[in-house]
Amino acid sequence: MEPRNDDELNDRELDRMLAEWKAPLAPARLRAAVFPDGHRPWWRTVWSASIRIPVPALALMAVLIAIVIWQWPAALSPALQQKVHELRPVAELRPVLIRSVE
Amino acid sequence: MTSEQAFDQFHQAVYNFAYRLARRQDVAEDITQECFLLLVRDPQRFDEARGTIKTYLFSVARNLVLKHYRDHRLEFPAEDEPPSAADPFRAIDVSSAVAHAVAGLPLLQQEALILFEYEGLTLEEIAAVLGADVGTVKSRLHRARNALRRLLAPYRNTENTHGTA
Repeated sequence: MEPRNDDELNDRELDRMLAEWKAPLAPARLRAAVFPDGHRPWWRTVWSASIRIPVPALALMAVLIAIVIWQWPAALSPALQQKVHELRPVAELRPVLIRSVE
Repeated sequence: MTSEQAFDQFHQAVYNFAYRLARRQDVAEDITQECFLLLVRDPQRFDEARGTIKTYLFSVARNLVLKHYRDHRLEFPAEDEPPSAADPFRAIDVSSAVAHAVAGLPLLQQEALILFEYEGLTLEEIAAVLGADVGTVKSRLHRARNALRRLLAPYRNTENTHGTA
């Protein structure tokens, strides 16, 4: 340590004086301000939950959904498809009146 | 490390750092809150390759303090400006005298001194926070301590006393 004149503090004196400057404690409300969910009921957290979806992923999902909708009849089971194909429009309507017997 | 663990471990240190630079508890609280909210809301901004969570938080806090000073048009002493002499009649105790003397240092010396003396960061960590090299940090610390030796010398005999000046 280099010699110092009386107008200057030495290292030990300076360290001791610096240690006198104390900072106050951080307020406890800081935690609640940063993590408000810790004090909310779970259903409110679920209700206000959100997710972030990147635009390319969203676009891909939209394309996939469109393809699925477009291909929907082909996606049905063969038996069901057969029944659907058997349906034909009625050639002639013959309404029958049924009267109740009193 | 989760953001809650980071909060538990570092919020007091970040608060202390902001308080000592801004010298106001409300500003220190706002800065600490903003600092951790940024970590919670946008954790991708912390890049492990560029430093630890500790240095990241201190550098965010530092930027927020600088923003506070810019927004309120407050000024730190310039780097080449000599530190203002501590006025023994303004400080009522040693703690106030130290706060006043540190406030008279240029900002670059203040932040290096606070991170080293009070928050216990290593020279390498301080260099990462300030975006400077270790040699520059050492030099700033040296100049800050030399200035404080002179500025605080009048208080040598007033230690542990209150309201004496």
